[in-house]
Amino acid sequence: MSNENVLLSIKDLHASVEEKNILKGLNLDIKPGEVHAIMGPNGAGKSTTGYVLSGRDGYEVDSGSATLDGQDLFDMDVEERARAGLFLAFQYPVEIPGVSNLEFLKVSVDSQREARGEEALTSAEFLKLAKEACKQVNLPVSFLKRGVNEGFSGGEKKRNEIMQMILLKPKLCILDETDSGLDIDAMQVVANGVNSQRDSERSFIVVTHYQRLLDYIKPDFVHVLADGKIVKSGDASLAKELEAQGYAWLQTEPTEDEIED
Amino acid sequence: MSEWLQHAIAHADSIQDGFADQRATSLALLTDTKWPSRKTEAWKYTPLRAVERSSAVFKEESPELTPVDVEGLDFLELTFVDGQLVSMPEDLPEGLTIEMQESDLFTTIKPARHIFGLVNDVLAADVAVVTVAENVKIDSVLRINNLLSNGAQGHIRVVVELEAGAALKVVENAEAHGATLTTAYTEFLIGAGAHLEHYRFALQSGDNVALGGSHFKLLGKATLNSSIIGFGSDLQRIDTDIIYAGEKAEAKLNAIYLLDGTELFDLHANVEHAVPNCTTEENIRGIAGDRSRAVFNGRIHIHRDAQKTLAELNNRNLLLSDKAEINTKPELEIYADDVRCAHGATIAEIDKKALYYLQTRGVSRSQAQLMLSFGFINELIDQMPTAELAEWVRPIIRDRFAQMEVK
Ligand SMILES: Nc1ncnc2c1ncn2[C@@H]1O[C@H](COP(=O)(O)OP(=O)(O)O)[C@@H](O)[C@H]1O
Ligand SMILES: [Mg+2]
Repeated sequence: MSNENVLLSIKDLHASVEEKNILKGLNLDIKPGEVHAIMGPNGAGKSTTGYVLSGRDGYEVDSGSATLDGQDLFDMDVEERARAGLFLAFQYPVEIPGVSNLEFLKVSVDSQREARGEEALTSAEFLKLAKEACKQVNLPVSFLKRGVNEGFSGGEKKRNEIMQMILLKPKLCILDETDSGLDIDAMQVVANGVNSQRDSERSFIVVTHYQRLLDYIKPDFVHVLADGKIVKSGDASLAKELEAQGYAWLQTEPTEDEIED
Repeated sequence: MSEWLQHAIAHADSIQDGFADQRATSLALLTDTKWPSRKTEAWKYTPLRAVERSSAVFKEESPELTPVDVEGLDFLELTFVDGQLVSMPEDLPEGLTIEMQESDLFTTIKPARHIFGLVNDVLAADVAVVTVAENVKIDSVLRINNLLSNGAQGHIRVVVELEAGAALKVVENAEAHGATLTTAYTEFLIGAGAHLEHYRFALQSGDNVALGGSHFKLLGKATLNSSIIGFGSDLQRIDTDIIYAGEKAEAKLNAIYLLDGTELFDLHANVEHAVPNCTTEENIRGIAGDRSRAVFNGRIHIHRDAQKTLAELNNRNLLLSDKAEINTKPELEIYADDVRCAHGATIAEIDKKALYYLQTRGVSRSQAQLMLSFGFINELIDQMPTAELAEWVRPIIRDRFAQMEVK
């Protein structure tokens, strides 16, 4: 381990999708227990960062490195990264009809416990935990029986993501616009869910466009991601500035194909 | 005529009941029908060797057999063993009758083109006629059990009439204990505004031969919700006909098949939109592993007068091995101009986004693939209206699926 006290370390990361460079030299170090907010204009590469770190097909690492707890993330399969403690709450959670939410959650938790050499939970034990987690994110218990995210509203999907985070107890949680499209009440539920999981070990990357989420989830650092790299970092007050000013000050000359986007 | 058929119909002489006239007509038709070969369209992919080779016999005496329990359901049981009716429900709810007597409906709903339907006309000895009186809604589930002991041949037939406004739930359940051969046909008349919830479980895998059909005629505003679930065997063939005879009727047919080894399963679903304003939804999903073969033929015939028909047929198949085979053929024949009709038949692929999503939660790729494949059929089990039946059949299908290998 190069740095004893770093949980996630991203060094000069370049990544592309369909031959198009998206991440262009991303650097980020996160220590245990820290909350980092990432803001920035649409198309900057915020979601791409989560996909690259989690190992989604089609997201190519061109150069650079990323380690979690000293382990090389890019050397692991998607599921191994998850078992190593990486969690991504999706901007657009996937619907999987025919696979019940409860089964999905149980298999996920079992897989991770097994990887850590822990015994699988009995169905009854797990059901109890799942019901508690449901309550915590304000989802009716009946949602456990439904297909994964099947027919859930936008807000219900986001709360389901938080429920998974609560059950999986990851080391690093990446929340990709978990607050988008939520009303104030739902956002508070999400924020409470996150805050309940904060401790001196667990770290968070909170991707958001809105200062209001950061009123509830107080970040230690705020970064602005633009055109594939971090262009400015600061403390919580930076988010307030951004809210007031927008991103016009970035003054990046858009390239031809970005105009098309 | 095949040797098997000659042998089998010789047995017909011993049957004496009120259906003699209809049987004679069917026998005459049967005698005139050419025994199917590979050139026969309806049997193109389904050879009848297994029938011809079958050594199953008409037994004089049969062992006592009881149908499988389904937790949480107390069925009204109509049980046949080796083709003989052995038990009827003792206390029938008011408005429900079951009789062994003449019925004008016998042979009128099932189309005569089904050759084994004709065989069944001739050989089914104990025809049961079920009637639900006008506006009577029966809560209990009527289960028709077709149980076969090792080495037996059996032919069963049930005719069901729902009078106007009636409601009934029917389960057709087949269980084969060893090498057997059966034909099992049901005919349903669903009266005006009546509702039939129907299940056909054909879960008898192994070295048996099963030929049968469920045939429905719907009068105005009648509704049908049918689920067919089948495993393959030496030969498993089901024909279903949905015939609209009154406007604003609706039918939904969900079918699942799950095949392994060298099994064969063949489903022919035919829908006759003969009148305007009726709606059909068909979801057919199959998984074939190893060297098994599935055949699905989905015909929707929209007659010239059947304006404002809505019909949707969706068939998706998943192949677990490159030696498995699926022959699927949607056949749309549309003669009316103002209709909405969609069909699709696909070899399904695992949804990559869903696979990734599961993996990001720590689920291994191979387990995620299994979950999604099972989910693909489980989605239709979820739609079964009687939850007890869904909860009963789900683990059976899950177990079978778990044993199937991806090659
Ligand atoms: N699957 C993809 N195929 C092609 N381009 C993509 C794909 N995913 C993302 N991009 C492009 O990558 C850039 C960054 O996208 P994204 O990471 O989603 O941005 P953000 O989350 O910051 O809004 C955008 O220009 C987007 O169009
Ligand atoms: Mg995004």
